[in-house]
Amino acid sequence: MSASPYEQPGFRLAEGGLVDRRVVLAFNLDGRSFTGLSGDTLASALLAAGKRIIGRSFKYHRPRGIITAGSEEPNALVELRSGARREPNSRVTTIELYDGLEATTQNGWPSVDFDLRRINSLFSPIIGAGFYYKTFMWPAAFWERVYEPLIRRAAGLGRAAGLADPDHYEHANAACDVLIVGSGPAGLAAALAAARSGARVIVCDEDFLLGGRLLSDRQEIDGVSGAAWAQSAVAELKSLPEVRLMPRTTVFGCYDGGVYGALQRVSDHWPVPVAHQPRQRLWRIVAKRTVLAAGATERGIVFGGNDRPGVMMSAAVRAYANRFAVAAGQRVVVFTNNNDGWRTARELHAHGIEVAAIVDARAAIPDTLRAGVAGRILTGGAIIGTTGGRGIRAATIETARGRETIACDTVAVAGGWNPNLGLAGHYGSRAIWREDIAAFVPGTPPKGMAVAGAARGAMTLATSLKEGDAAGRAAVEALGMTAFAAALPRADDENFAIQPVWHVTASIQKAFVDFQNDVTAADVALAAREGFRSVEHLKRYTTLGMATDQGRIGNVAGLAMMAALTGRSIPETGTTTHRPPYTPVAIGAFAGHHRGKAFRPIRRTPSHDWAQRQGAVFVESGPWLRAQYFPRADEKNWLETVNREVRSVRDRVGFCDVSTLGKIELHGADVGAFLDRLYVNTFSTLPVGRARYGVMLREDGFVLDDGTVSRLADDRFLMTTTTANAGRVFQHMQFCHQVLWPQFDVQFVSATDQWAQFSVAGPNARRALQAIVDPQSDIGNAAFPYMAAGEITVCGGVAARLYRISFSGELAYEVGVPARYGNSFADILMRAGAPFGIVPYGIEALGVMRIEKGHLSGNELDGRTTARDLGLGRMMSTRKDYVGRVLAGRPALLEPDRMSFVGFRPVDPSLRLRAGAHLVPRGAAIDAAHDQGVVTSVAFSPSLGQWIGLGLLQRGPGRVGERVRAVDPVRQDNVEVEVCAPCFIDPQGERLRA
Amino acid sequence: VPSFILTPASSLGALAWPAAPVSGAAPGVTVAERTGIALCNVLARRDAEAQLADRVRQHFGVALPSEPRHTATSPVAFAWAGPSQWLALGQETDGRAFELQLRASLAGVASVIDQSDDRAIVRVGGPRARDALAKGLHIDLHPSAFRPGDAAVTAVAYIGVHFWQIDASPTYEFAVFRSFAVAFWDWIVQAAAEFGVAVVQAPMR
Repeated sequence: MSASPYEQPGFRLAEGGLVDRRVVLAFNLDGRSFTGLSGDTLASALLAAGKRIIGRSFKYHRPRGIITAGSEEPNALVELRSGARREPNSRVTTIELYDGLEATTQNGWPSVDFDLRRINSLFSPIIGAGFYYKTFMWPAAFWERVYEPLIRRAAGLGRAAGLADPDHYEHANAACDVLIVGSGPAGLAAALAAARSGARVIVCDEDFLLGGRLLSDRQEIDGVSGAAWAQSAVAELKSLPEVRLMPRTTVFGCYDGGVYGALQRVSDHWPVPVAHQPRQRLWRIVAKRTVLAAGATERGIVFGGNDRPGVMMSAAVRAYANRFAVAAGQRVVVFTNNNDGWRTARELHAHGIEVAAIVDARAAIPDTLRAGVAGRILTGGAIIGTTGGRGIRAATIETARGRETIACDTVAVAGGWNPNLGLAGHYGSRAIWREDIAAFVPGTPPKGMAVAGAARGAMTLATSLKEGDAAGRAAVEALGMTAFAAALPRADDENFAIQPVWHVTASIQKAFVDFQNDVTAADVALAAREGFRSVEHLKRYTTLGMATDQGRIGNVAGLAMMAALTGRSIPETGTTTHRPPYTPVAIGAFAGHHRGKAFRPIRRTPSHDWAQRQGAVFVESGPWLRAQYFPRADEKNWLETVNREVRSVRDRVGFCDVSTLGKIELHGADVGAFLDRLYVNTFSTLPVGRARYGVMLREDGFVLDDGTVSRLADDRFLMTTTTANAGRVFQHMQFCHQVLWPQFDVQFVSATDQWAQFSVAGPNARRALQAIVDPQSDIGNAAFPYMAAGEITVCGGVAARLYRISFSGELAYEVGVPARYGNSFADILMRAGAPFGIVPYGIEALGVMRIEKGHLSGNELDGRTTARDLGLGRMMSTRKDYVGRVLAGRPALLEPDRMSFVGFRPVDPSLRLRAGAHLVPRGAAIDAAHDQGVVTSVAFSPSLGQWIGLGLLQRGPGRVGERVRAVDPVRQDNVEVEVCAPCFIDPQGERLRA
Repeated sequence: VPSFILTPASSLGALAWPAAPVSGAAPGVTVAERTGIALCNVLARRDAEAQLADRVRQHFGVALPSEPRHTATSPVAFAWAGPSQWLALGQETDGRAFELQLRASLAGVASVIDQSDDRAIVRVGGPRARDALAKGLHIDLHPSAFRPGDAAVTAVAYIGVHFWQIDASPTYEFAVFRSFAVAFWDWIVQAAAEFGVAVVQAPMR
C-alpha cells in the first residue's frame, strides 16, 4: 500500500448514513482487496477506502476520480465482473456493492495509477478538437492500414468480454394508470396521491433505494428526516395492492401511445444471477398517465484543473457524507455560484468535516446563507487552478483582492442544477430556458405526461412535494377517478438563487467541459473560431456530450460558453436533442429471450419425431426445421445420400413431408370468381375433384407466388402456396377480400398446420398407397388421373385428402392426413411401401428432382420475374381481369431482351455448375456490361450423371443450343455451358400420367 | 380390418407429461396440454351474421360473442377469432365428426373448417401466471382489464396465439399453431421458471 493519505482507510464517518455497519462486504479492484458496507455503491466504498484514482481519461490519459454520486458519472468507469460476465464502462457510482464484487480499472496502461500514455498530455496542444478530422485525412491509403488501427488501439475505454454472455435477459410488459419516473420528493408525493386514490401505479427509480435526493440531503418533512419520510412513504406504497415499486429500474425512453421503455437490473447486485432469474429485464410499460419526477443533475463549473481527482460535484460530496457516511475528503473547498453550495458547506460542517473555504462567484451573498457554516468565505471569487499529483492538494483562488492558494484535498463544485428532462423531449419538444434558475426546463411534454419537481425546475423541497402531489392528483382525475384528499407533507422552503458562472476565463490551466471525452474550454473556443457554432456542430466537432454519459454535467456549460463566444443568448444558441436511451442499455436486454436457438420460434413438421428417429439431418428452411436427407451408415457424404434418394424415387418410390407448403381452405359461393381475380389463369371452371396449377401476381405485375388449387366441392377449395410465401399470400388475400372485393361470399382460413402432407412419388407410388387407402377409395389411373383431387379415407376410416400432383416429375400423389397422425403415417408408409422399395427423402432430393423437371421455386420467384420471364406467359388469361394484369403489360416488362427462364448444362459433363454464376457470351469480356443473366438453381442430377442448372438469360428460350459462359467471380469459376430447355426429365410428362 | 392403424400423437409429446416443478419451488405457474377437444373455424357467410347467431343460439344455447369473448356455457364453446369468425370448441376427439355436425347445424349461414389438428391448446394457470405471461404478452391481464371469458388474438414471442381466460384463479388457454407448439411451450416454461413451474394434467371438461 502506498503512503499517500488517500490510499488509507479512515474516510468512513463514525455514525449516520443509510449503510448497515453490521454487514461488511469484501470486494476486489485490480486484484486488491477492499471492504465496504451493505448499502454502499462501489463508489462510496472506494471513497471510504481512500481510493482516489479510478480511471484515466480517454484522450490525454489524465488521472481521474469519482466526480458524482449518480448515473451522470463521466469519469469513474470500470470493467465490472470478470470473464464472460465482464461489463466495460460500468459507472462505479451506480454499482450496488455486493460481497465478492470484482472490478478492473480501464484505460490505464500499465495501471491507472501509473499510466505511460499520460505522455499524450504533452501533445495536448495539437490534439484538440477536430484533430482527427484534420490529421488523418491523407494519404488516403493510410486510413485503413495505419490510422484506424492506431486510433482504435488508443481509443475506447473498457474491453468487451469477447465471450458469449452466459446470463439470460428477458422482456416483460406492464400496464398502469400512472407511471411515476423517479422516487424523490416529487415522485413519492405523486405516487402517494395517485395510489391512495386507488390507481394502478408503477414507480421506477434507477437507484436501488427509493427516495432520490431525500436520501442524500438533510432536510425534514413532517418533522422527520427526509430519508425517514421516504421510508414510510415507500412502506405505505408497498402496502397498497395496486402499486408496483421498481427500484434498480431506469425508464430510458418514451414511445408512441404512452409506451415507455425501462431497464430493470434484476441481478446486477449479485455476482451470478439467482437460478431462473435474468440478469436484466427490459420492460415495456404502457401508462395512461405519466409523472416525470426524475429530479435534476448538478452541473460543474469549467475552471483550470477541474479534472484533478478530488474535484467533485458539491451535491455528491454531500450525498457521500449523508447517505453513505463517507467523507470524500478531510479538507474541503466549496466552489459555488448558487445557494445550494452553501448547504453542502453546512452539512459537511455538521458531520465534522473541515470546510476550509467557501468560494462563491457572486459578489453579494444573503446573510442567511452564512449561518451554520465554518471556514473562510471568499465572495466574488473563482478557482483558477489546482495542484496535486494524483489528487488535489491545493486550489488557487482569484478574487477582487488578489490570488491565494488554499490547501485542500477536495473541491466541491456547485454550478447549479439541470432538470432531468430527457424523457419529456423524446417526442421532439424543445427545452425552454429559464433565466431565474439558469437552466433548461421541459417544453411541452408528450401527451399524457406531466413533469413535477426538480425535473420541472422546482429547486426547493416544499415546491417539489407540492408539485408531485398536484401531478399525482391531476393524473387520477384525468382518468375519471376521485383524488384522495390528504394533507400536503410539510417541509421548510428555502431560497434558491443562482448567478451562473460557466467558465472561469481567468483559468491558468486546462479547464474541462466534458470529462469523458476530454473536451476543454479551448476546444469550444476553437470550434467557435472555425465556424462550428451551432450546438449540433459544436457537439460533433468537439465530441462534447457524445460519450456514454452524454455530457450530463458539462453540456449546458459548453453551449453557454459557445453563446458567450458568439455574442448570442443561451436560448438563441439552443440545446441539442434528447433521444432515447436516457442511460446506456445493453444490447442483450433488447434481444431478451430471443438469442441463439430462441432467436425466432422454430416450426416443426408433423413427422419431425419420426424423421429424428430415422436419423434425418435437419435444415432450417425459413422458420421450419425440415429433414434435409436421410443418411445411411455406409454413405460417405450428403451427395451420395441424395443421389440414392433421387434414384430410389425415379426407379421405385419415395416419400417426403411437404406439410410446410401453405394451405388455405376457401369456402363460399364466390370462391371461383375470387380466385379468378387472384390468379392470372381461370379457376371458376375447375371441376370438382380436380386440381390446377396457378400463378398470382403482385399489383405491380411481377410474380407473387405459384401453387395449386383443388376443388373439393362446389363451394370448397384448397389452395397451396410456396412455403416461403404462405403468410404473404394469406395477407394479400385478406386485403383483396376485405378491401377490394368485399362483395364476394368467400370465407378462408389457413389450414397449413391441420394436415400432415406427404408426397409419395415414383413408379411404385400407387401400389405403395393402395395398401393404406381404404378400398372404397379408387386411386387407379382411370378413377383418379393426373391432377385429380379428392377426399378419401385411409387406414380404416381416417379422413384424408389425396391430390395427384407431382413436383418430382414422377407418378406422384400428395396425401394429407390430420397432423396428429403425421409420425404414425410416415411409419406406415415405410411399412406399406417396403415391398415396393420405398425410401424417405428430404428436401435436398426434392430440390434435385424439381430442377431436373424444370419446376420453379423461390430462387426463380424472387420478386423480379414476370410470368412471361418464367415461361408462363400463355397462362395469363385475356378474357378476365386479375391483380397485376395492367402493370404486367408495361412496355419494360414486355421487352424481348428480358432475362427469361432456361436450363443449362456444362459442355464438359465432369464440371460443376454454381448457383449465382453470371452468364456471359463466349469470347466477351467478363464484366457487368456483358452480363446477360444468372444461374438461379443448380443440382447434380443422378439421372443425367452431371450437374445441371436453371436460370434466367436474356432472350433465353430463343438461344437453346447456344453456348455461353457461367462465371462465378466469387468462387473463381468459369464454365462453358449449353443453353437448353429447362425440363431435363420426361418432357412429354408420360411418367406423371402413368 | 385395415392392415395399418394410425396412432395419434400430441404435438408436444413427452414435454407435456406431468412433471414436478422445474425449479423445485411450489409452482407459481402450471402448464398443461389440453387434449380431447375438437376445434372448428366458423365463418359467417356473406351478410349472414345475424342468422348465424340465431342458429347458434337455437342449436347450442349460447349467444355468439360479437366482441373478443369466449363462451364456455354450453357443450360447444365459441371464441371470437376476428370479425365474423369464431373458433368452436367441442367435447369431441374426432375433428371430422365435429366439423360435419357443425356444418349440418349451420348449413347456409356459416363455413365450417376443421382446425382440430391445426392448433395445440396449452393451459397456463397458477398464482403467478400473469407475471409469467407478461414476459411475452402485450395485453394487460390485470383483473380490471381482462376477465374470465375475455379472449384475444395476438402474438407471444413471435408466435401467433388465440387465447382466452377460463377462470379468475387465473387460468388461460392458448390456441397455438401446431408447428409452433414446442416453441411456445419452451418459451412459457422458461418465462415461468423463476416462479416455479409444474407440468400438470389438464382436467377434461
